[in-house]
Amino acid sequence: MRLRVQWKAGASMNIENTVTGAPRVEAIAVQRRFGGVTALGGVSLTAAPGEFVTLLGPSGCGKTTLLRIIAGFDQPTAGSVRLNGHDVTKVPAHRRPVNMVFQRPALFPHLDVARNVAFGPRIAGIGKSELRARVDDALAMVRLDGYQHRRAHELSGGQMQRVALARAIVNRPEVLLLDEPLSALDLRIRLEMEEELRRLHRELGATFVYVTHDQREALALSDRIAVFSGGQIEQVGTPDEVYNRPATPFVARLVGDANVIAVDAAPGESDSSLVHLGDVPLLVNGSVRGPAWLVVRPENVQLGLPVGTESLCGTIVDVSFRGTGFAYRVDISGLPHPLKAEVPGGPPLAVGERVSVAWLPSAVCLLTRDDHRDSDMIGVGH
Amino acid sequence: MMSRQRSPFASGVVVASLVFLFVPLLVVVVFSFHSVGALTLPFRGFSLRWYRQIWKSDEFRSSLVNSAVVASVTGLVTMVLGTLAAYALSATRSRLRAPLALLLFLPLTLPGLFVGLSLLVMFGRATVSLSLWTVAVAHLVYVMPYFLLIAVATLQRLDVSLEEAAADLGATRWVVFTKVTLPQVWPVLMGATFLAFALSFDEFVITFFVIGPESTLPLYIFSSLRRTVDPSINAISTLLLGITLVLFALSFALTTRGGRGDALAGPVEGGRLDEH
Repeated sequence: MRLRVQWKAGASMNIENTVTGAPRVEAIAVQRRFGGVTALGGVSLTAAPGEFVTLLGPSGCGKTTLLRIIAGFDQPTAGSVRLNGHDVTKVPAHRRPVNMVFQRPALFPHLDVARNVAFGPRIAGIGKSELRARVDDALAMVRLDGYQHRRAHELSGGQMQRVALARAIVNRPEVLLLDEPLSALDLRIRLEMEEELRRLHRELGATFVYVTHDQREALALSDRIAVFSGGQIEQVGTPDEVYNRPATPFVARLVGDANVIAVDAAPGESDSSLVHLGDVPLLVNGSVRGPAWLVVRPENVQLGLPVGTESLCGTIVDVSFRGTGFAYRVDISGLPHPLKAEVPGGPPLAVGERVSVAWLPSAVCLLTRDDHRDSDMIGVGH
Repeated sequence: MMSRQRSPFASGVVVASLVFLFVPLLVVVVFSFHSVGALTLPFRGFSLRWYRQIWKSDEFRSSLVNSAVVASVTGLVTMVLGTLAAYALSATRSRLRAPLALLLFLPLTLPGLFVGLSLLVMFGRATVSLSLWTVAVAHLVYVMPYFLLIAVATLQRLDVSLEEAAADLGATRWVVFTKVTLPQVWPVLMGATFLAFALSFDEFVITFFVIGPESTLPLYIFSSLRRTVDPSINAISTLLLGITLVLFALSFALTTRGGRGDALAGPVEGGRLDEH
């Protein structure tokens, strides 16, 4: 499906002409302070045409602030925002060629579904016959054909959010901003809507900038993820990079589950480091030296029968069923917290059993530890 | 759970209060239809003669028209200025917001005597000759806080994300106001306007200070009372009561019904509903 880009009325500035090679969306050193509180501490991020970029982080990390600054609802204290290479920092929201889907559907209660969807095109001055076709098109895309004359209060939560999506995409924006659009929905509908969002992204070819605190959603939807913490970006990368090669212990813990263990790394053989877990020496890939974090995902921990005295051993202190297998907590002497392990299949090991603990060298990573900066991470891995 | 006992004493108090409140009104209304001039029982028959009599009085008709004109001017100006002020007040993030709101609501607590006197002094200093216009200005001061109280409360209940959504879809501030904000609140604003009209229509104390040679309906009743006590006073009072009641009823219906619209705007709990 080929889409003709139709700009909003009043978008008189010359942002239609893409600067060749410029990213679709570009945040440059964006800073936002509210009184004495810094919500964003100089953040830079780009999104290429057609890319699905997710801003992931806990509440209050600045991700929504950045989205609202891109939309034009908020002004940065410093820094700038560019769309298609043109600075739009001073352009008001109603003249930016982006559309937003909010956490709450925010449907106009005095209008029916069709009129809600027609709101944008009508302001843009689209003629009657084309308007109708476009509204019907947009509703068909979110699978709400036939709901034209319903009122907002006659719809379910999922349907309302679909109308909100249709109301945004009917304007054929090059950039669609989504502010936790699924967070108010039930799990089952959330999964359904995730699929719809992936399909819409494929069909529209627009750039999606998506805000969420749900790491599972971020991994499932994104081309790239920017992990936010305390108004800073901790890491930007593909879901695979962020998951398998987290840049900081914060990212490791936020994206998926992880054991994060404080260790001291000494030079090992060639390109590896030597760390001690309790009394057991282990070699880990990488060249980190000094205070470090050892990160290992529960599903990469292998449990087996204890062999010899050289290997890492522990005692199972907790077992829980996880559908595809079992999750364990293994107490290892010398570690402050039991290690988390997830093992596919059964039968389950019993609490109190002695097991050996192992992992592939490629399945762990070592991050530099800065006790001052990572002070909030002390004691992680419980 | 224990069901509450209905004590005969409590029922007695309720009945007594109702009697105390409404019997005087009822007496006025009943005697306005009395066929003879006596203001005492027994009731000798029904007639509209007192209504016919007051209708023949030029003084009555001009004061009725004066009241209607003053109330209309007050109501309309209050609606326009009040809506804009309430919108500004509910939209601003300024630090002056709270003190400003306090100042705007303050006249509610001022005694009418004080408002009337200070306006009289002001008009005197400004050498404005007293007329129905000065009455309308005075009424504006008096009814504005009531209007603002309702309008600000309603506008503040509106979901801000609706206005942001509209701006996001390309709407200028003016379009947001006319196409999104007003359609949701206009019944309430109309109701508040009727309230302003009603308050102005039967206002007495402030009017007494700032009126010129003309008369309004409440003033006409007051001056008639000083001359004679005949049932035509009852007829006028009944008319005033009827008009005021209708206006208050309209206002109440609109302000309470109009509040329903914004419940649809924030379907947080609706979002938890199942899809099918």
